[in-house]
Amino acid sequence: MRRYVQTPGPIGEFSSLPLLQRAETRDLLYVGYGLLVLALVLASYLMGAFGWLPHDPRAMNVGLINTAPFTSGHLLGTDFLGRDLQSRLILGIQAYFLPGLLAIAISVVGGSVLGVLAGYGGGWVSAVVTYFDNLLDSFPRLVLILLVIAAFKADIYAIMIVLGITSMPATANLVAGKISFLRQKNFIEAAHALGLPAHTVILKHILWLNCRALLVIQATLGMAEAILVETSLSYLGFGVQEPTPSWGNMVQAGANYLLQGNFWPSTAPALAILATILGFQLLGDGLNNMLEGKRRRG
Amino acid sequence: MNRTILEVTDLRKDYSQNLGLLAKLTGKTRVIPAVDGVSFYLRENETVGLVGESGCGKTTIGRTVLRLTDPSSGRIVFDGRDITALSRAELRPLRREMQMIFQDLDAGLNPAMRVRDILREALTVHERPGDAEIASRIRELLEQVNLKDSKLANFPSELSGGEKRRVGIARVLAVRPRLIVADEPTSALDISIQAQVVNLLRDLQKYLGLTYLFISHDLPIVELMSDKVAVMYLGRIVEMGLTENIAHRPRHPYTQSLWSSLADKQSIEVSRRVSNGTGQRERRAWGVFEFEQPASGCRFAPRCPLYEQQGRPAVCTDPASEPPLRDVGKGHVVACHFA
Amino acid sequence: MSEPLLAIENLRTYFYSRAKRAFIRSVDGASLAVARGETLGVVGESGSGKSVTALSAAGLVTAGPGVIGGRIDLRENGSGYNLLDGLEKYSRVTERDGRVVAVEKDERGWRARSEQLMAGVRGKKIAMIFQNPRSALNPYSTVGSQLVETIRLHTSFRGRGEARERAIHWLERVRIDSPRLRFDNFPFGMSGGMCQRAMIAMALSAEPSLLIADEPTTGLDATIQSRVVDLLADLKAETGVATILISHDISVIQRLSDRVAVMYGGTVVETGRADEVLAPEVKARHPYTAALLASIPNAETIRRKSYLQAIEGDVLDTIDVPRGCRFYGRCRRVTDAIRENCAGLEPPLAEVAPGHKVRCWLYPATGKA
Repeated sequence: MRRYVQTPGPIGEFSSLPLLQRAETRDLLYVGYGLLVLALVLASYLMGAFGWLPHDPRAMNVGLINTAPFTSGHLLGTDFLGRDLQSRLILGIQAYFLPGLLAIAISVVGGSVLGVLAGYGGGWVSAVVTYFDNLLDSFPRLVLILLVIAAFKADIYAIMIVLGITSMPATANLVAGKISFLRQKNFIEAAHALGLPAHTVILKHILWLNCRALLVIQATLGMAEAILVETSLSYLGFGVQEPTPSWGNMVQAGANYLLQGNFWPSTAPALAILATILGFQLLGDGLNNMLEGKRRRG
Repeated sequence: MNRTILEVTDLRKDYSQNLGLLAKLTGKTRVIPAVDGVSFYLRENETVGLVGESGCGKTTIGRTVLRLTDPSSGRIVFDGRDITALSRAELRPLRREMQMIFQDLDAGLNPAMRVRDILREALTVHERPGDAEIASRIRELLEQVNLKDSKLANFPSELSGGEKRRVGIARVLAVRPRLIVADEPTSALDISIQAQVVNLLRDLQKYLGLTYLFISHDLPIVELMSDKVAVMYLGRIVEMGLTENIAHRPRHPYTQSLWSSLADKQSIEVSRRVSNGTGQRERRAWGVFEFEQPASGCRFAPRCPLYEQQGRPAVCTDPASEPPLRDVGKGHVVACHFA
Repeated sequence: MSEPLLAIENLRTYFYSRAKRAFIRSVDGASLAVARGETLGVVGESGSGKSVTALSAAGLVTAGPGVIGGRIDLRENGSGYNLLDGLEKYSRVTERDGRVVAVEKDERGWRARSEQLMAGVRGKKIAMIFQNPRSALNPYSTVGSQLVETIRLHTSFRGRGEARERAIHWLERVRIDSPRLRFDNFPFGMSGGMCQRAMIAMALSAEPSLLIADEPTTGLDATIQSRVVDLLADLKAETGVATILISHDISVIQRLSDRVAVMYGGTVVETGRADEVLAPEVKARHPYTAALLASIPNAETIRRKSYLQAIEGDVLDTIDVPRGCRFYGRCRRVTDAIRENCAGLEPPLAEVAPGHKVRCWLYPATGKA
């Protein structure tokens, strides 16, 4: 039995579904978790940038190899060379944070430009841009990245540029879709009829007021993608090189010790990767659901 | 005699059918003439109604006249100035004088902006008034369209249909236009709200000296609002004249069928007449016209009762002669060989 | 009237708006009746509840809580049954001061029960046509096959061959030219008017006792509208099907209806014979009906180019339903004698002439004002 109550009254609508099964709670949890991850990543980035680390990430302490968490003054234990894992994990964020931002910036800005061109300019402009979009979309991303690595060196920034460019079509399509929706409602025409200049219409009305939510969501998903790419490449040995820590190469290096029963040096960074990517994905997903829900209910 | 504020001569607007990328590149396109040689004029403070079925081109005329799309050929003269070929930059200052009320109630109302911001933006497009002046002008606009002050803080999604229509009108009035093209201003509204909007438009015309091009398929309202009416069929004006003549003494068979179907809908006596000769009437009336058919003579011939009655005269389907608009007295023009 | 074919009694269909945390009282105690072979026109503006009433009768309301109270009696060949039978078991309504404040509804359970009740009724005894003709037709299936599907399902013509012939017969009856060719057309190849007629054919080919037509002419061109109206009039005469015709276009209602019900704010405010309710000079009439008729341009207003008599204010938002008469805020005929009643108490439907009922304090139940 579903209970609906008319206000005024102390209780709003509640459903007989248990709290955890309800969509709204789930979305809130996703977003909450995602924001937590985001906050931690930001904080860690700053800490790493300014060097406010609990221990020197390079300091090897042969006496304290492979210790477990919470022992001997190391919050997350040490790795196979006695280096503090916590500091290394924090420093590992440096490897993907700025490059990730670059990828996001390219994808969001470039995607918006493409989307506006496709949706706004008529005729052949739109046709060419759409064609170009589809072309970009059909590139196998990983192959492209490996090609770039083979051609140039394994520069993470170059790789992120490629990632950003290959992510543009997704954003572009969303923006173009929004524009065609607005166009259908004579919205753009009416703005022009009033005499508003084109740049105001595009920047203010379309992008800022109507697209900002979807751009934010694209950004969070883009970051998740960037982390995945960077850590994968580092794992394969193409990214950040030792002794500079990256979560990927930490997993790789620690893997040798798995069979010896010391699973922590490898598992800790792996869990970090998992938790962080999940955080960004859920943030994007949760925000998207909340946005849809608001649109449906409002 | 008021002066002419808008004069349209031989306006043509073609749309090319979308045949795909390859066709575009090889230059092969199919052209559909949405507006095919239309001429009319508007005098200041006058209302000219434009009626016709969907697809006849009346909305296209409205948009083309305001240069929201570019005409394929023809001349548009606004207030003595030829605006047919002006660039976008040159048009911008003129935009404030000629505005459009769109059919869609949400047009121009950004869902993320409050009414107050929508109006403020409209007021600052062409001028730079100070805050105090903006506030007083907003109050003035609300008064003109009969909206309560409390609506200023609302978002468009919180407004009713009638209120949205009125905010849309206020937005257009903010730039102080002289000519307004009203495209189906009452269509999406409830009957009792339609009456409010119609009254409002008439008041605004009286107090602000506006000129209207009133596009609608609602014949009684067009009759009520307009001084003159132009009837369109498939991109051409087939009859034009004083409202009274068009409504009560129509000469073109299409105009006659338009006004009689209005009566048909309402009258109960017609139901008794319908059962006789129904089959023939039905077949003609339901015919769907194919735009791609080259105009072979009069475009109304396939549906024309006069054509049948006169024994299918050859002149009606003669590809060389599409009936021109003939003057039948007092500015009443008809495009028919037999009217 | 003799035993009505369909009698809707005190129907309540509510929707819950989470955004506004309140009930949208789409239908708030509406009672209608249609006799066999009769056309009942239901007039009203948006928010009046006319479409939702039709959907409730056809069992097509899915949003929550949906139908929460009332009876819908379908009478056929002497026997009758309630299409909302057992609703009390699935929905519990809590009222305070005569207003519903809480609803508990087992939506899944009621859906199952409703399907049980409507099986064999929907499509077969009660057919429905909708406003947008293209939305009712399957775009991936030819018109002919959709017709055949209906015929084989709901009539005795089970064989494919005979069903096909029957379908073509119906296409002809709705005056679609070259029915044999059109049989294989897809909806996108047909004009709006033609799709509408195909939908009418689909509905009537099942030979229902009741046809519910929800805004059948809205959205069509003027000339096509009058043709559809003609067609409906003819079919009504030929088949004798009872019709509930819902429209906001008064001229269509005038043309086709025998009796009329005027709805406002979720209730029926006036009901009676069409020529009585909609005629220009009737004196005993609900102020809303009078105002509605006065706001349409007629020959007189056009000739004199006079201003239309608009009703002040906005159509009632059925969330914030006032305590007294729903039309009170916009009514111009309130007198001091009845003002207190109008503001505080909802008037009952009272008979002002045989078969003509009005819900207004100007005509209280005990006699004429």
